Amino acid sequence: MPGIIDVSQLVKTYGDGTKAVKGITFSVNEGEFFGFLGPNGAGKSTTIKILTTLLQKTSGFASVAGLNVDSDAAKIRKIIGVQNQDTVVDEDLTGRENLVLQGQLQQMHGPAIKERVDDLLKIVDLVDAADKRAGFYSGGMKKRLDLATTLVHNPKILFLDEPTTGLDPQSRAAIWAYLKRLNEQGITIFITTQYLEEVDRLCRRLAIVDLGEIVAQGTPGDLKQEIGADSISLGFENSSLNGGDVRTKARQVLEKKFDGVSNIVDSDIGLTVYAKNGSYMVPELVRAFDEAQIRLSTIGVSSPTLDDVFLKHTGKRIRVEEVSSANMRGMFGRRRR
Amino acid sequence: MKKLVRNPILVFFSLFQPIIFLLLFTQLFSGLGRFLGAGILSYTAFATAGIVLQNAFSSAFQSGTAVVDDIKSGFLSKMLATPVNRSAILFGRLLSDVFRVVVQTVIILVLAYALGVYPATGAIGYLLVIFTVAFFGLAWSGISLALGLKTKSAETVFGIAGAVTFPLLFMSTALVTADFMPPWMQDVSTYNPVSIAVNAIRNPITGCNVAQRVCNIGFDWNTILQAYGVIAAIGLVTLGATLYLFRKVVS
Repeated sequence: MPGIIDVSQLVKTYGDGTKAVKGITFSVNEGEFFGFLGPNGAGKSTTIKILTTLLQKTSGFASVAGLNVDSDAAKIRKIIGVQNQDTVVDEDLTGRENLVLQGQLQQMHGPAIKERVDDLLKIVDLVDAADKRAGFYSGGMKKRLDLATTLVHNPKILFLDEPTTGLDPQSRAAIWAYLKRLNEQGITIFITTQYLEEVDRLCRRLAIVDLGEIVAQGTPGDLKQEIGADSISLGFENSSLNGGDVRTKARQVLEKKFDGVSNIVDSDIGLTVYAKNGSYMVPELVRAFDEAQIRLSTIGVSSPTLDDVFLKHTGKRIRVEEVSSANMRGMFGRRRR
Repeated sequence: MKKLVRNPILVFFSLFQPIIFLLLFTQLFSGLGRFLGAGILSYTAFATAGIVLQNAFSSAFQSGTAVVDDIKSGFLSKMLATPVNRSAILFGRLLSDVFRVVVQTVIILVLAYALGVYPATGAIGYLLVIFTVAFFGLAWSGISLALGLKTKSAETVFGIAGAVTFPLLFMSTALVTADFMPPWMQDVSTYNPVSIAVNAIRNPITGCNVAQRVCNIGFDWNTILQAYGVIAAIGLVTLGATLYLFRKVVS
């Protein structure tokens, strides 16, 4: 049975020769909450732009609600809601006016818009601020307003590119709560984000992309089970030991003495070791490192998380970027003239 | 429009320059009135057309920076993901720019009226002036829009705008008559589209053909139609380029 989003062998090569997407295939079922994860530059935004008809693909096939992204672009635009990475609200207009404008852009008319706008203001808790200019809104309020503008025309599918990046935890939680409710009402949600706990909690399925290719996909549970091991994160006091790299030394110790280790990956503070029954290994580990004169600063054991899944498949920890002031400007909307 | 009203400071400052020009230039060059033929035409009346055009000129260059802002802020993408007609997005931009120029022109004309510049051809003449300015603004917006779409940099648009605006403006009959210029500049001025456009605006305001030093002639259709021809040609090229570049950005 075809999904509501079907992508097969999708390729996008930009004019300058950059291969942003190198033949990805996946499918999203109707009503699903689908996470699309990957490090920066992995091809997430490019894929979203192709699916939302903002960018032409180079080759392959992509359809949204059974409509071809090339030939039925106009029809697709009527049934999708799109939220970009940037918050786009018109700061000179009030929250209500922003929503009405978007309704008009979506070719809705008169009383239908008014009714819908009133509903949306309730949904995103902006009733009290509805008639204040968006320029006076906080970052979280602008983001909520921006989300509401994507919903004006009752879209069947919502595409969200990093909808909560740069928000404080409270606003983030609020946005995710709205998304959960929307999904329960039957809207399919396709989301890219860097917040894995939320993905774990809310996404039915997810795909991890890296360097333009899908490296893993499945339910959060399956992906975590695939790792099949606890992760032990080790931090070292010094980065070098007797002139050699401490990570190399530690790897040698681990490989020589521990059979249960299934994988060892470099991390920011030292190493992450994957092993069955990791917690039982800890005393032995400490002893072995002590003998090898490797000093540990931290040691921690955890059952597999999506972060581990991500690390295993991309070699990177997903990291929520520092929000620099330059980014903030873009994120929280700019004045338009 | 709501945006303009909500942004009184922006409106004020965008009018600041033409108002200052109108007040300062008419004082600075008031002696030039002598060259216009004593008693026939005041310099203020002469210069009003130049100020109106200069305002349209610099106002048109704001379209380019606005479109850059739309691209960078993600607003354009957001609109493109809606069923809105592609060309409507572009024409909406152009129309709002034209609207702004018209409002500014009206304010300048009212101010000039206060300074004693009365329309020689009456209200119909001023309607023609406003129409000509709108038409010129539209054609000229095309240049800045094309630049904005091509370079995607507001600074570049501003830089080029400055480099183009002043030479074209000062080597034209916007603020002085042609016989006031050195011969080589007269040649430039003759073919300068700014001169051609400004002459078509000046005629309805003054009722004169300043180059020929004749007044009270009412509408000088030769001058006006020539200007419309030139503006249309410019508009065709600049808006064509804009449309082409817009399609490229959109796809």
